[in-house]
Amino acid sequence: MKHIHTIGKLLKLLTLMPFILLSSEALFAQDSTAVETPEVTEEEAVEENTAPARKYVKNTFESIWLIDNQTVMVPIKGTFEMDILHRFGTVDNGYKDFYGLFASSNIRLGFNYSLTGRLMTGVAITKSNMTWEGYVKYAILTQTRGNEYPVSLTWYSNMAVETRLKENYIHASDRFSYFHQLLIARKINDRISVQVAPSLTHMNFVYGQFVDSFIEKSGKIRERKHDHLAVSVAGRFRIKEGMYILANYDQPLTRHKTGNPHPNLSLGLEVTTSSHAFQIFMGNYYFMTPQRNNYYNQNNYRDQQFLIGFNITRLWNF
Amino acid sequence: MKAKFIMILSLIIVVIITAGFKMYDQENPWPVPDKFKNMKNPVNADAESLKTGKALWAKHCQSCHGKTGLGDGSKAAQLKTDPGNFSAADFHKQTDGSIFYKTSEGRDDMPGFKKKIPDQDEIWSIVNFVRTLKK
Repeated sequence: MKHIHTIGKLLKLLTLMPFILLSSEALFAQDSTAVETPEVTEEEAVEENTAPARKYVKNTFESIWLIDNQTVMVPIKGTFEMDILHRFGTVDNGYKDFYGLFASSNIRLGFNYSLTGRLMTGVAITKSNMTWEGYVKYAILTQTRGNEYPVSLTWYSNMAVETRLKENYIHASDRFSYFHQLLIARKINDRISVQVAPSLTHMNFVYGQFVDSFIEKSGKIRERKHDHLAVSVAGRFRIKEGMYILANYDQPLTRHKTGNPHPNLSLGLEVTTSSHAFQIFMGNYYFMTPQRNNYYNQNNYRDQQFLIGFNITRLWNF
Repeated sequence: MKAKFIMILSLIIVVIITAGFKMYDQENPWPVPDKFKNMKNPVNADAESLKTGKALWAKHCQSCHGKTGLGDGSKAAQLKTDPGNFSAADFHKQTDGSIFYKTSEGRDDMPGFKKKIPDQDEIWSIVNFVRTLKK
């Protein structure tokens, strides 16, 4: 019982984390401007009687996306970005629907803006369940060349609301869900970057919860929990300038009585230019709203239920 | 007779286009403020800087200026202005500060990179890399 109380407290803290981070933006202002301050040599620093500026590791990743997950990257201040994400159907039907390319597809349009070099905010809409998302991403730490900070640390949170007809919901609050993720990444060398990202999903409504309430009266526990923990392990390998191999694995951690989501395994290719990133890949996740991916994925890589997808990002600097 | 006519016609077209570019360059010199023209490059052209410059060149410059700076990138044909030949001795007569200014500010088809590359040392690294394109 004590454990449940502690976990509850922790979850509440995680839910409040983005607001804490937003309010602490002023406190981190010194760090965030340091990114854009020209570096000075140690000799110059001695002359000016100041400490040498930190040399930050750059381009750990080339895009805010690593297939279905966010990366630690926050685009530079004043960047407006438009994302087009697309997921086709699974390939396991073969020629019948041309390996999923002619199956029902899912599309996500996203728009975000970097308010500072560390804070990005945006909105997106996904076709599946007509889901709108509002999200914030905050770069807490950036890896430094001298290993003062051996990793980059970024927080990502979103709130999603489904906008289908009200007949699909019992309560208005059933439309809402939340996703929080701590992104920890290290650029190991010029070729390899890796990222580990634990996440927490909260679904206001879960399938079967009203049946569960009935079951609870007979003394049985709920079949599905509203909170779900998962972890993503991902990496990038540079083939040549502007071309990378991407790999990602998502492991669900929370066990539910029924309908446990399957892990996600994905592999892809990324090509980047000055203003674009293009990723094409195969993986198991279809929904693109991260909480729905982590909570509801029923595509199993062991049954070859892979699907083809692509992400396109376009950047403008103001 | 016909072949001769086509050859002469092709030659005339080439001369007109070349002269057009030349005239455009002469009529539209790119003035660089003295402050930038005389600016000293604060970044040594060491291996680290050249590596940074090369990566940034591949990401931001190569599509127009070409891999070796000959102005033959994949987007070059769509440009209204000549992307120039960065391997030519004439190009390298200008100072590092001039190249820095032009890269930062941009003009016509050439975008300015001071917003996209806010770290000035990185633009200086591009300048260092561009110097290696001289033949």
